[in-house]
Amino acid sequence: MPKVNCIVVTPEKTALEQPCDFLALPLFDGEIGIAGDHSPMIGRLGYGEMRIKENGEQLRFYVDGGFVQVADNVVAVITNRAIPAAELDTNTIESQLAEARSQPSNSPELMESRDRSIAQARAQLRVAGRQ
Amino acid sequence: MAKARALDKRRKSIRNIKKITRTMELIATARFKKAMDRATAATAYTARITQLVKDLAQSGLEVSHPLLENRDKQERGLLLVLTANRGLCGGYNGGVVRAALAQQKELQGNYEDLRLEVSGKRGISAMKFRGIDVDQSYLQFEDQPKFDEVDAIASRYLEAYATGEIDRLDVVYTRFVTSARQVVTTETLLPLGSLTGTDEDADGAGTDSMYEFLPSAASILEEVVPTSFKVKLFKCFLDAAVSEQIARMVAMKSATENAQEIIKHLSMTYNRARQSQITGEIMEIIGGVEALKG
Repeated sequence: MPKVNCIVVTPEKTALEQPCDFLALPLFDGEIGIAGDHSPMIGRLGYGEMRIKENGEQLRFYVDGGFVQVADNVVAVITNRAIPAAELDTNTIESQLAEARSQPSNSPELMESRDRSIAQARAQLRVAGRQ
Repeated sequence: MAKARALDKRRKSIRNIKKITRTMELIATARFKKAMDRATAATAYTARITQLVKDLAQSGLEVSHPLLENRDKQERGLLLVLTANRGLCGGYNGGVVRAALAQQKELQGNYEDLRLEVSGKRGISAMKFRGIDVDQSYLQFEDQPKFDEVDAIASRYLEAYATGEIDRLDVVYTRFVTSARQVVTTETLLPLGSLTGTDEDADGAGTDSMYEFLPSAASILEEVVPTSFKVKLFKCFLDAAVSEQIARMVAMKSATENAQEIIKHLSMTYNRARQSQITGEIMEIIGGVEALKG
């Protein structure tokens, strides 16, 4: 099977650009796996773990929402943040989660932003806890 | 000898100033390169988003979103002004502040309630000097603005726009065109107007897109629009940072050149003064000798 070229871009820089055998991405409602010759697709990403497999080695990142575009064996991951799993610090995330929980939620908009912060922090914790 | 000595002293102090401006020029050059690299790195993201929007438009999807449409209600406006934290960069801050004041005047005619937000110490003090109240100020943006910081501000604007706290957002900043040209620009970011990429393929749009959309094209569009707003705002900050460094580089270069010229001029005057002093002394001696002879 041909390799897929994985390109991860964030607003600040191109975080990663490398060929790989397989990658798994968190879509908004579940995980998707992409190997070579995948059909063209545009998907909405959720918060969670991105795994990239290359020659038996695995790279793990936390991705913070965004989009994925697959075409011609090129996977473009467009996300706000892509943090290598090793760089996630459980303590900081715990405090972020606590902070998110204490946010006010007395209007639909505030509720939504509170839920989002909590989901982000929880997803980061999951990624950090898996090593 | 008094006059010659004073001239020499002045020349020395100008030499010191020249050293400082020269150093500042070099620092600005290094910072400009860094800021420029960041701005170039950011274009990859913008290009991808544009491509995504294009593909979305080709799927025959009607591109409509509350952020894209003009509102009938025009009551509350918001003006964001991006200036620098530091001075000594020529007309950079002055230009932005002037444009901001003009825009403020214009908006005040249409909007009853106009909020003003300023980033950068220079802009804040300029507004204070003119007696204009600033609703919110930011000092954290230096030569390398972080996306997370801009993201926080952008999210706040989006929320305010959604809840009707603001009906329009204008940004005044210095746009980077080329390294030899930067223009002060006023841009309306909310409502967004149109997405880049949608207008180009308007007639070629059909339903023959090769992409599969997960969950649906409409849901992706819903997410793309706020993202492209955030990216646009981030680009404003990046452009402002790059332009600031260029402005400082140019200002310090001309200051150094000017100091060089003054030194040259002073040296000439100093040499002349010294020469005339020597001549005067010789005349006195010769005069004395002549008098003794007689």
